[in-house]
Amino acid sequence: MKQFRKMVYPYLLWSTVVIAVPMLLILLYAFTSGGNSVSKFMFSLHNFKRFLTDKTFLEVLYRSLRIAVETTVVCVLLGYPAAYIIAKYSEKVKMRWVLIITLPTWINMLVRTYAWTGILQEDGVINSFLGLFGIEPVTFMYTDFAVILGMVYNFLPFMIIQIYTSLTKMDYSLIEAASDLGANPRKCFTKVTLPLSMPGVISGITLVFLPSVSSFCIPRMLGGGSYVMVGTIIESQFLTAGDWNFGSAISLIMAIIIMISMYITKKVDKGEKLEAINA
Amino acid sequence: MKKGWLVSLAVLALSMMCLTGCGSKEKLKIYLPGEYMSDELVPNFEKQYNCKVDVELFDSNEMMYTKVMAGDSYDVLIPSDYMIERLIKEDYLQKIDVSKLSNFGSVTDALKVAPYNGFDPDNSYSVPYFWGSVGIVYNQNNVPTSEVEAKGFEIMKDTKYSGKIYMYDSERDSFMIAFKSLGYSMNTNEESEIMAAYDWLVELNTTMAPTTVTDEVIDGMAQGRKDLAIVYSGDAAYILSENEDMRYYTPECGTNVWVDAMVIPKNAKNVDLAYKFIDYVISYDAAMGNTEAVGYASVNKDVLAEVTKEGGLYDGNEAYIPRTGFAKDEVFTDNEFLRKKLSELWIKVKASN
Repeated sequence: MKQFRKMVYPYLLWSTVVIAVPMLLILLYAFTSGGNSVSKFMFSLHNFKRFLTDKTFLEVLYRSLRIAVETTVVCVLLGYPAAYIIAKYSEKVKMRWVLIITLPTWINMLVRTYAWTGILQEDGVINSFLGLFGIEPVTFMYTDFAVILGMVYNFLPFMIIQIYTSLTKMDYSLIEAASDLGANPRKCFTKVTLPLSMPGVISGITLVFLPSVSSFCIPRMLGGGSYVMVGTIIESQFLTAGDWNFGSAISLIMAIIIMISMYITKKVDKGEKLEAINA
Repeated sequence: MKKGWLVSLAVLALSMMCLTGCGSKEKLKIYLPGEYMSDELVPNFEKQYNCKVDVELFDSNEMMYTKVMAGDSYDVLIPSDYMIERLIKEDYLQKIDVSKLSNFGSVTDALKVAPYNGFDPDNSYSVPYFWGSVGIVYNQNNVPTSEVEAKGFEIMKDTKYSGKIYMYDSERDSFMIAFKSLGYSMNTNEESEIMAAYDWLVELNTTMAPTTVTDEVIDGMAQGRKDLAIVYSGDAAYILSENEDMRYYTPECGTNVWVDAMVIPKNAKNVDLAYKFIDYVISYDAAMGNTEAVGYASVNKDVLAEVTKEGGLYDGNEAYIPRTGFAKDEVFTDNEFLRKKLSELWIKVKASN
């Protein structure tokens, strides 16, 4: 194996340039004030104070987390049954379903989200259809519903594929053993299948929660310009306000919140495993 | 056999690169806002001057600023007045010798006097591209003209029209209507005036359920989805030509009038061609095609006269030509304090529902 070790270096260089350096820059900007030029840097905690002491910003933070949690929950509720059903099919049919589910991700996310505006608009597809039955137009656009719908639509494939993978990797003889020992199908599912598929659910949650908590283009397109999320604030700090220091501080706060939530998810996962073994 | 393939592929790739890269044609790189130039303008210029033009588009002046400050080189930029003022201050632009532009004489005189020339009084750094104002587009079947004229921007806070208005998602334009409505200058530095405007907008946002969008307003009003909207004059000209129920009004309390202009950065690579391009854009034929396609007011006085004369394309279109000689109309000036302040407050306004 040793002779391959050198092959790691390009990757190391790559990850330094594209991961470590930008992260360090964010750290540097977040703890300083005085504009964007390196010569004027001064250490300060002002940016953090400004965010954490302002009621409006905290409300936006709460809203972002709430929307992300709701999106993730909906994705689990929709994604798990879908993955479970697909995993039951024969190999050939499975591949076809996986292809169908990943197919939309071949198209650019912005285009797909933009298509939803055409569907949800007051004179869009759904309302025109409802109008045929004499139903008054329903406002879908620029609501929580539209934003969560857009997020679920965009991120659901990540959830399904993760759960599906862990379900197919599962050893089916364990379920046979459980039924042999007298477990009914329901018990088989709750005691065998579900615990064994938890790693898939956990990584699915990670893959859905992360992009939805920091997303700014889906809320912008489906929630309208007054639908402010944390991603929107960060974007505006960099692009319109030109306050890179404040923008970096908010990014850092988000990163810390995400790390904590990931840590908790992992803990819960481990706790459940232990419980399962003890039971 | 395999190697032969690789070699021929490499040769092919190299020759392709030569075709695009080391051709004898001169190159010009321009950077301008999206949907802001007729599709024919660039190809016609390329044909006439046997050159290749690279066009890049930006969403906002601020985005352009971030990019050019990162060191990207362009030959011609088309930013707005206040941004040009900032670029001049930061010593980023070359001086332009207007005597080298054969068509400069046809630039309309309105742009050479206040308030339009404030950011660059003698055109020493910029040549106008389009100009316009900001106003209210309203559906005259649902909102009486007399009411719009009596109330001005205050009509955006009339709860009769709650849920039926579009606001424009830009802190400068939104705060502008609040400042103007309250009778202040939109370039104010007074903390108390800024906070009054902030309260004005928060009240609007909490009582009127506005839909805050950017370019979606064009389609939305052309389709008649809402009754009132804050719109740029050129977009309004398009809306009015699409939907005859819609009308445009610039309030008596004054509004923002603006000029977008062409400038040449100091690090431009092909200054001669940049001059030719600028001169071409303000020439009669190019300016005519451009204003027909985009809808903003041309800077060429002959074009203006032609499209607004009886039977012309914009005859009777009240949004097309911006108001001139109205003392309460102002151009934005570059003001770092106000810019940062408004950016933070605008996020708070939008989050206040």
